[in-house]
Amino acid sequence: MTFSIRALGVSAFLFGAAGAASAAECIAPANPGGGWDFTCRQIGKILHEIGAVDKPVQVTNMAGGGGGLAYSHVVNERNDDPDLIVAASSATATRLAQNAYAGMTADQVRFVGAIGIDPGVIAVAADSPFMSLRDLVEAAVEDPGAVAFAGGSATGGFDHLKPLMILMEGGLTDITKVKYIGVDGGADAITQTIGGFTQAMTGDISEIVGFLKAGEVRALAVLTEERVPGFEDIPTAREQGYDVVAGNWRGLYVPRGISDERFREWAEKLAQVAGSDQWMEAMAANGLAPFTMVGDDFQGYIDSLIADINRMSKDIGVIQ
Amino acid sequence: MDILANLALGFGVALSPFTLTLAVIGCVLGTVIGALPGLGPSNGVAILIPITFTLGLDATSALVLMTSVYYGAMYGGRISSILLNIPGDEPALMTTLDGYPMAKKGRAGDALVLSGVASFVGALLATVGLMFLAPLLSRVAYHFGPAEYFALYLLAFCTLGGLASRNQAKAAIASCIGLGIAMIGLDNTSGMPRLTFGHLHLMDGVDFLVAIVGLFAVAEVFFFIESHGRNTSIGVRLERVTVPVRDIAASGWTMLRASGVGFIAGVLPGAGASLGSFLAYMSEKSIAGERGGFGTGVPRGVAAPEAGNNAAAGGALVPMLTLGVPGSGTTAVLLALLMTLNITPGPTLFTDRPEVVWGLIASLLIANFVLLLLNVPLVRIFVRVLQVPPWVLLPGVMMVSFVGIYSLSGSYFDLLLMVGFGALGYLLRKLDVPTVPIILGILLGNHMEDSLRRAMVLSDGDWTFLFSSPIAIGLWLAAVAGFVAPMFLRPLLRKPNAGSG
Amino acid sequence: MVSDRIFGLVILTVALGYVLSATQIQMSFLSDPVGPRTFPYLIGGVMALCGVTVLVRPDPDPDWPGPRTFGALALTVAALVAYAYLLKPLGFLLPTALAAGFLSYQISPRPVQATVTGVALSVGLFLLFRYALGLGLSAVPKTWLG
Repeated sequence: MTFSIRALGVSAFLFGAAGAASAAECIAPANPGGGWDFTCRQIGKILHEIGAVDKPVQVTNMAGGGGGLAYSHVVNERNDDPDLIVAASSATATRLAQNAYAGMTADQVRFVGAIGIDPGVIAVAADSPFMSLRDLVEAAVEDPGAVAFAGGSATGGFDHLKPLMILMEGGLTDITKVKYIGVDGGADAITQTIGGFTQAMTGDISEIVGFLKAGEVRALAVLTEERVPGFEDIPTAREQGYDVVAGNWRGLYVPRGISDERFREWAEKLAQVAGSDQWMEAMAANGLAPFTMVGDDFQGYIDSLIADINRMSKDIGVIQ
Repeated sequence: MDILANLALGFGVALSPFTLTLAVIGCVLGTVIGALPGLGPSNGVAILIPITFTLGLDATSALVLMTSVYYGAMYGGRISSILLNIPGDEPALMTTLDGYPMAKKGRAGDALVLSGVASFVGALLATVGLMFLAPLLSRVAYHFGPAEYFALYLLAFCTLGGLASRNQAKAAIASCIGLGIAMIGLDNTSGMPRLTFGHLHLMDGVDFLVAIVGLFAVAEVFFFIESHGRNTSIGVRLERVTVPVRDIAASGWTMLRASGVGFIAGVLPGAGASLGSFLAYMSEKSIAGERGGFGTGVPRGVAAPEAGNNAAAGGALVPMLTLGVPGSGTTAVLLALLMTLNITPGPTLFTDRPEVVWGLIASLLIANFVLLLLNVPLVRIFVRVLQVPPWVLLPGVMMVSFVGIYSLSGSYFDLLLMVGFGALGYLLRKLDVPTVPIILGILLGNHMEDSLRRAMVLSDGDWTFLFSSPIAIGLWLAAVAGFVAPMFLRPLLRKPNAGSG
Repeated sequence: MVSDRIFGLVILTVALGYVLSATQIQMSFLSDPVGPRTFPYLIGGVMALCGVTVLVRPDPDPDWPGPRTFGALALTVAALVAYAYLLKPLGFLLPTALAAGFLSYQISPRPVQATVTGVALSVGLFLLFRYALGLGLSAVPKTWLG
């Protein structure tokens, strides 16, 4: 999206300079409208509403380099800012694992917690001949060029990895033959799939909620361990014989240089948000499933996740 | 009458003294923001999002405020285009082509009133279109795959040839400069940096606002320094500002056609208001033919892009509301606002949350009428700008540009780039190279390339895929005709200079 | 004639340089059929072609300003570059007053009038941006505020 890059800049500028010392700031490393922006705005709003912070949290949009610009900003210029939180998701971990942040590594910040997960999903148009994930995988294994996927991330990104993992489980070896086009977000990917330009879309469940209700798409599989509450009629990939679990968690990281005490405070506040009615409501409205993990547990989860994605990316050949 | 009942529901939500006050405030703020170079509609909306939270506005009030600012900025953008030859925001780019020459002829007031009316017509028709056709039109997007989008962008560039320069090669050079600049930054498809020379500032590419403000505002100041303030519209004696009834009547069909073209362009995700005003202007220009005098300051050339871009602004709401796909930067910001209010746009929004949709539509209608009332009588005040002596006005324009661009990233790098674009713009315009195609190249370059590459992924590198649907073929034919026709027509008509561009 | 010939030559050079830089673009392992280099090549190619066209069929020369005016323009560019560098470290008010005053002097060379314009614009715009539009500008160097 080249269109709205300047929008965030202004708010960045606005807040960066006008902010008084004690107000917390949340950086959304993308344009307004995406998942990171949602994370910052919702968490910021709820933090204030439940009284965890005194002043409204200032949301700064800092798009660039798929989150890399914000990452380097935090590492290089705000490393000891105790009032800074930054929105993160699986995409952050994926890019770190694939060394897409120009040499910066995951240990240069502290991951403070996740408070929701957007389960991965594979969907087709309502009039598609593929009735189950097995139909789709078998067609793709027979002729990898026959099934084209559309997703919201660039080649090699998280949305691209999901179908590749499933197809590898299904026995496909030459995954470079699988067609994938990265478009401007999940909604765009659905539009292309409903239009018949691609055969399937790969994304998160929140991205297809409206289209599911309208009966325009059919979800073939959700990539979770158990079926998702509220979407019980969508089978998991696992129960169809493909052991792939991939969800886009929504969480935060904070600068490396803050005190342990401050880190625990943020973890505590995040847990409060996770338990609030407002967050339950926001999750329900946006198709998120509960997934709360804060503090050192979460840091451990991230470390193993990054190691996994790194290994997988090498196996697939996304990185050398 | 479902629609009437719904509309009544919408007005019930949106019509109260409080929301009306918000609408007026939003319209005034939006007009000011739109008129200032560097600050556009998406900035305006983005700046105000936190304010709505601070004020604790409910969903409807927040929407009324935001849409007023959105439409207000679309109106405001034309003011600096016409008075100063500096587009206030990117969709107002095309308005400079005839608006500024018209102002130079001493008809600044007429141009402003006419364009205000055109904006009103465009926005009104688009809102009505949104009301009746949104669920239907959202399906248009399903017929545009990568190949069709590529052909659409190609059409835009091919028809540029006849624009503002008599030399098609020079117009093509300008397009290439723009497209070339657009390639800088992260490659959307592979995520790899391109042509950044290891410069972190270039990772995100060159912001087209930096280019617009540089090529127009800064270059304009250089022209003033060269001429010491002579030979410009500033300081021109003003006739009384009246409503140019004859011009408005003569542009009636132009406004209607331009609104239609703009609205459709707006509906297509990714095309947006800039393409809307551009296509509206180009189609009117070709209907009028070389004798229409487009580019020399004719009223129809002012009415077309303004009707087009305001209609596109309304059209862009269609994919945003029905598909959740923002058609422009501003709608992306509006989308963010909706999501924060726990409203998820999508195909079921119209049935799930009618009060939101119809409240939004009602507030668009309200904002539009408020803006017409504000803009036409207030033209006198805007025109006063021309009586400010150039030695105050021009430094003022330059300083506003600096602050506007500085607010993007807070770094001096964009400012240096802007000054560089200013010098480039001065030299290019001296050489009769139009600068509008540069901006369009930067705006659309990545979309165009992405479409091509996606098409090739889907077809396994088979180039015939680009011509494999009726829509694509139609767009290709139009593109070829748009490029070739001026070459044959121009020598026949021997038209003199087509304006300064 | 001469101007366009030089311009065509410059464009040709730029186009070739562009294509040359494009050959350096990193290819990723999982590349699409078109790849990240093709489109830049196309742009460079069309640009070179157009450069040659202008070189071969130049338009008449524009009216270039005299050396004095060119000097003034160059000086203005230098002043704006300096302004860009000073805006952050020195705060808004001082550099803006200087730059605006300088520009005003360039357009109409009357020192008193230019000084007044510079100061008035600097203060006026600061108030407009800071209070009416809510942009957070720092008036003076941040270090002064502690």
